[in-house]
Amino acid sequence: MEILKVENLSKTYGKGEVRVEALKNASFSMERGEFGAVVGVSGSGKSTLLNCIGGLDEASAGKVYIGGRDLFAMGENERTIFRRQNIGFIFQSFHLIQELNVEQNIIFPLLLDYRKADQERVEEILEVLGLENRRKHLPGQLSGGQQQRVAIGRALITRPALVLADEPTGNLDSQSSQDVMDLLCKASRHYQQTILMITHNMDLTPSADRVFQVTDGKLNELRSVGE
Amino acid sequence: MKHYLDLIPISARLHRKQTRMTRLCIVLSVFLITVIFSMADMEMQTQMVQAVKSYGKWHAGFVADEEQGALIAARPEVENIARYGVVNWGLEDGYQIEGIETCICGLDGNLLELFPDVAITEGSFAVKEDEAVLNEAIKSRLNVGVGDTITLSTPQGSMKEYRITGITKDTALEAEHDAFGMLITIEGFDALHTKDTDASQEIIYYVAFRPYCSIPGTIRDITEQLGMKPEEVRQNTKVLALMFQSRDPYMMQFYFVAAVLAVLVAVAGILMITASMNSNIARRTEFFGMMRCLGATGRQVMRYVKKEALGWCRSAIPAGVFAGMVVVWILCGMLRLLSPGLFDGMPVFGISVPGFMAGIVMGIVTVLLAARAPARRAAQVSPLTAVSGNAGTVHAVKRAANTHLFKVDTALGVHHASGSRKNFLLVTGSFAFSIILFLAFSTAIDFMHRAITPLRPQAPDFYAYDAGYANVIPAELCDRLKEYPGIKRVFGRGYAENVVSIDGQENRLTILSYDEQQFKWARKDLLEGNFADAVEGTGVLLAYRDNNPLHVGDRITITADGTEQELPVAGILKDVPFSYGADQNTGSEEVLVICSEELFAGLTGEDGYAVLDIQMEADIEEEEVLEIRKEIEQTCGTNISFSDRRISNREVKGASYSMAVFLYGFLGIIALIAFFNIINCIAMSVSARMREYGAMRAIGMSVRQVVRMVVGETLTYTLSGVALGCVIGLPINRILFRSLVTFRWGDAWELPVWELLVIVAVMLLSVCLAVAGPARQIREMTVVDTIGTQ
Repeated sequence: MEILKVENLSKTYGKGEVRVEALKNASFSMERGEFGAVVGVSGSGKSTLLNCIGGLDEASAGKVYIGGRDLFAMGENERTIFRRQNIGFIFQSFHLIQELNVEQNIIFPLLLDYRKADQERVEEILEVLGLENRRKHLPGQLSGGQQQRVAIGRALITRPALVLADEPTGNLDSQSSQDVMDLLCKASRHYQQTILMITHNMDLTPSADRVFQVTDGKLNELRSVGE
Repeated sequence: MKHYLDLIPISARLHRKQTRMTRLCIVLSVFLITVIFSMADMEMQTQMVQAVKSYGKWHAGFVADEEQGALIAARPEVENIARYGVVNWGLEDGYQIEGIETCICGLDGNLLELFPDVAITEGSFAVKEDEAVLNEAIKSRLNVGVGDTITLSTPQGSMKEYRITGITKDTALEAEHDAFGMLITIEGFDALHTKDTDASQEIIYYVAFRPYCSIPGTIRDITEQLGMKPEEVRQNTKVLALMFQSRDPYMMQFYFVAAVLAVLVAVAGILMITASMNSNIARRTEFFGMMRCLGATGRQVMRYVKKEALGWCRSAIPAGVFAGMVVVWILCGMLRLLSPGLFDGMPVFGISVPGFMAGIVMGIVTVLLAARAPARRAAQVSPLTAVSGNAGTVHAVKRAANTHLFKVDTALGVHHASGSRKNFLLVTGSFAFSIILFLAFSTAIDFMHRAITPLRPQAPDFYAYDAGYANVIPAELCDRLKEYPGIKRVFGRGYAENVVSIDGQENRLTILSYDEQQFKWARKDLLEGNFADAVEGTGVLLAYRDNNPLHVGDRITITADGTEQELPVAGILKDVPFSYGADQNTGSEEVLVICSEELFAGLTGEDGYAVLDIQMEADIEEEEVLEIRKEIEQTCGTNISFSDRRISNREVKGASYSMAVFLYGFLGIIALIAFFNIINCIAMSVSARMREYGAMRAIGMSVRQVVRMVVGETLTYTLSGVALGCVIGLPINRILFRSLVTFRWGDAWELPVWELLVIVAVMLLSVCLAVAGPARQIREMTVVDTIGTQ
């Protein structure tokens, strides 16, 4: 089942002499449970691609379909609600809410919908993340690796169709990086979630089903499923 | 770029938007300080205008003989000295012109410079012994003018002729008593031999001293040198006080209040600028860390921050001073509009030098003081901060938000406000500070309402009365006078005395008749009973007395024209604001009854009035007043007496207006401080958390939810501020009220509901505006740029 479909996605910044084409006609699609990695050097346009797919940034041209719904056909408010219900985000610098504890941070997208969290699901995620004993801790009381695990939990709590991870291991040591990669793989395999991860570390790509490369805004698939 | 400090203007150009809030804070502080000082200066100026009008420009008066006078005049501190003597001040000693008692003043010509209100409107001052200047009253009533001759009869039986050389305006006192006044030279005064009569008073030497000399010291010196008794020395206390040359308690209290308020406003300004600069510095922690990385010393960073702050002053201080002056111009305009005539001397676009200087000096000092803490903070930024990127602006969180009690957005807002106890106390304290200030200074309004009696709505500008209080003024004269130009209202009162028996005791009873308008004014004074019965003529109203023998429902039996009539007491009035009876006694203990005109006519058989009150338009011409007077005299005969209260009414109005503008202006400024403080605090808090909001938006928080979070934060601060402000402010209000009002007038303290409603409304309005700006900012925020993803 096709979860993500990107059609001729382009993004241009500035006008005239300062015009920069950050993304040029990127097209690809991903099925349920696929784990994709996007690699590229700094400034190649990989974050722009992720931001456009996640609806954080408006594309200059092209379309993004998630679960068959056109992301840019939605209004701002509708897209925000769609994002919190269908897309999970994992950032390099975690972006946890400092005023909420581990458990509250994980269920935050549900709280934004004014919904009650399914406690069994929360326990399951805490167990998978290895954070059962840290549930009442504030982000400031956790290590970087633990914070990123909380961010993964937050991305998974709504069982989103798509999880977007922007350099999730960029701020972590090698052991924590490996833990995070294992968790993402587990999410992809165990919960059948589609994951698109940005990284500039080629050592992390073996875990991915597909690998894309962005060079000067152009997207190429380096390795597809089964290769 | 030749110096590292040259980076400041370059950075300022690039970051104009980011420094806007700090610059605005400086503008506001300077504005508030300028307004406070300019208003205090303006109040002093208006008080001076009134004091000079009422009491003259002289500083001291000495009862002295010629030799002593010459010694005083020879002193270097003396700028102007003039002699003054008066006879027949009480208008009962037999100095008469055309049979009318006349007050005669002998004076040197330059005395008129010391009493600008006694200006000569026509001709010039007398030079010779047999020349005189008359007041308007004589001119208009005797129809004489400059060049004519009048004859003065003295109690010794002699007749003296004077040539009229000039006409002066009536003074307030002359107008009120409808008195004749004549000014003659000191030589002419001597020739009257007033010394030989009981009506004479001593010659006083009025003195105006040179500016910048110590007036109290000079007066003391003169008194000691000439061996004068204290009663022989007079001082123009109010004028001296306004020149800072007196220790008059009222003025000292006034200076104290202005000084305290200025200090408080300066403190509020320092807090506001410090908070804003702190937030500005915190936002640029990485930049200062980078400077330290590149080798800048802590001292250099401090110098950078201070120089930057002074740079903001360049545009912010003139803007603040100008805004302050505009407000003062508006207030001056209001005073001139409210009390035309009295404040005409005040410049509309004048510049208050103390206000101007205070704005500039306090502005720079405040900014330098406010810049100290942030500059120190910036200097302490470690170089590591810049490279680690760990430069958070938000306080460290110690406990999690309560998402059970509120929805998550509101819960986060509440937590943003209350998460850091120190920050919460600071912001709540600053909000409460405004309420405390407001409640404390609102007692000054209560004080003003009692200390300066405003002009009552029923106060007449001009009234005619029969000296014996006979009802000789026909009622139809009212209707005729209403047709005259410049007349606002005409109303009269009948007067009768009677003796009634109450509880077996004989009581004197005074009856006054009210028309419809006077009943309307009296309605608010009804303490108990039924008003309608009195208006309809089926009952009477009684004036309240401490040991009133009559109560509502009692019946009074009045015998008039041989017939007995029973009248029920319909109600009790708190106050009867009109003087009545030949002794003009309003505080009499006798029973005072108010009834309708119809009932009064039925009781007494008289339908005329003893007093006729006239309210006039402010721009009525003197000729028109004269016409009205003639009409009354033609109808009632020349025995009718008049009192012109326009000048004194204007003075009363002026005093209460200038005080009201001053005090309400202060309260307005306190409300403004509250207003700006809330807006400033929230704007700073929001801008410090923008990155966090960006992350929340990325995760899926809608704009509405972010705004709700900001509202939650703002309301937490505001409600806690209001609560704390009330807890501290109400007892202070009570203490001040008791010492200022209860102590003097006996009124009990009541909860200042209106004051509370006003300040809370201001704060809630500020909350709405405080949220509106950040809400727009959040709506326009680009999530990607805000969270700073690569």
